[in-house]
Amino acid sequence: MKPRERVQLALNHETPDRCPMQVSFTPEFALRLRKELGISEASLHNPHGGGNTYSLERGLGEDMLLTSVGWANSYYQDVKPYTDEWGIGWRVHPYETPFGRGHYTEIAAHPLADEAAIPGYRPPDPHRLELYCDAEQMVRDFKDEYWIVGVTVTTIFETAWALRGLEQMLLDMVVDPDLAEAILDIPFEYHLTAAKKLVDLGVDMIWTGDDVGAQNRMLISPGMWRRYLKPRMARFIAELKSINPQLKVAYHSDGDIRPIILELIEIGLDVLNPIQPASMDPAEIKATYGEQLCFWGSIDEQHTLPFGSAEVVRAEVLERLRTLGKGGGLILAPTHHVQLDTPMENFWAMVDTIRDTPYAGL
Amino acid sequence: MDSTLQPIYEGILVGDLLAVTESVQAALAKEVEPGTILHEALIPAMDEVGRLFEEGEYFVPEMLIAARAMKGGLAILKPLLVDADVKPAGKVAIGTVQGDLHDIGKNLVAMMLEGAGFEIYDLGTDVAAEKFVNAIKENEVDIVAMSALLTTTMPRMDTTIQAIREAGLRDKVKIIIGGAPVTADHAQKIGADGYAPDASQAASLAKRLVA
Repeated sequence: MKPRERVQLALNHETPDRCPMQVSFTPEFALRLRKELGISEASLHNPHGGGNTYSLERGLGEDMLLTSVGWANSYYQDVKPYTDEWGIGWRVHPYETPFGRGHYTEIAAHPLADEAAIPGYRPPDPHRLELYCDAEQMVRDFKDEYWIVGVTVTTIFETAWALRGLEQMLLDMVVDPDLAEAILDIPFEYHLTAAKKLVDLGVDMIWTGDDVGAQNRMLISPGMWRRYLKPRMARFIAELKSINPQLKVAYHSDGDIRPIILELIEIGLDVLNPIQPASMDPAEIKATYGEQLCFWGSIDEQHTLPFGSAEVVRAEVLERLRTLGKGGGLILAPTHHVQLDTPMENFWAMVDTIRDTPYAGL
Repeated sequence: MDSTLQPIYEGILVGDLLAVTESVQAALAKEVEPGTILHEALIPAMDEVGRLFEEGEYFVPEMLIAARAMKGGLAILKPLLVDADVKPAGKVAIGTVQGDLHDIGKNLVAMMLEGAGFEIYDLGTDVAAEKFVNAIKENEVDIVAMSALLTTTMPRMDTTIQAIREAGLRDKVKIIIGGAPVTADHAQKIGADGYAPDASQAASLAKRLVA
């Protein structure tokens, strides 16, 4: 079965030969994996997709390929401090793992921290043709075989907080709604333009989203989400689906966002990502929303992959197939890019169990 | 509640910084003791903020803005509390562990602890084990509070506790931990004294530990 058909069946709430799989990696984990698979490439891996050769993804037997346009590409841009095209400053911070040293890129400076900078701020231009070369080529080379996902995550809220600073953005949303709206519109308009262009180019699905969930509750109240983010997300989904009614839309938020899932469905959402199992019980989510919604993710990146054993990983994959993936409607993936602290045997336990478990055998 | 203290309490609940600082000044002008303002307005207001947070009424933005208003009032009171020899509920050294730069969770915990009457030594982010050890030695803190957001930095909590033990200071302090991937099981495993899943419960935990 072609990877593309596998995803199509799953998103149609049917069971393919096996559950579709998608896996992304931090740049250092990608290096480790390239070595293991004998792939010799020197480029810095972009975990959101975009600028990659997709040799790793295809080599592993993944079913979806990701191509990204937008602020999320500012992560992992360099190994020394840099300022991205939005004017956001980044520093590079090392960490140690049993498998070597890795680096996270962390936001260090916010161009709109000073309110006086807001009226004159000019975001980058989303109409530049070169932004879309990767997507164009991906559709041309791989759409026949794979399910193609246009990535515009960090769509509204996350880019806004990077521009303004998280605490200040949250305060603005309480004390100065007009200012908050003006800041939120900057990334919203950019990513909407980018997503429309990606749909024009023929991607099968748009992956949008912002983290509005904390570990065991929402970061902002459902009321605040309804006020600031829901109307924008509703317009985002509606405009994309008016270009291509067959388009699927996936939404990403870490953490526990149960209070808003029904409303995401109401505004046209097809797929929810990443279903962090320590925050939301996947079986409960399937029972409550499984008829209206598909899922993407659910393999725990906070405990199981870095700290569990291969057997625990395997058991978790099988458990998901029997619950969240029952009757289809699931694309299995780790809940975040696979991190450098993940033992190789855990990684392979995940990949092999997904690849080797036919739906018919469950 | 006393009508002089009521506007302070209410100002904190709605996060009105100006109202809080003005009404603290007004209370002082009426010769209300700074300790009374702290214990009968600021701390009860932050208690209520914590309760509203735990009940799902308040979220991070509402908690942040209330804490900002509380801090505005506390800044006026602090020198007066020192002069009046009003003792804090305890002293806490708090920081995000080495390798980790995430600070909003740690800041919220520090604010809620301050609002519960603790004196805070905020060591910032990316805090090495020796910095925690030195903070215990220099400030005679009662509690060490550590935060980590990343699975790659969580092991630093363990090494920090070992460093505190090796410095012979483990019996002198209570150690509490938190952060997205952190669990009560992990706290037990590495020999911490407690874990809290959010800032409000961290304040309750700290109060229990020094009681």
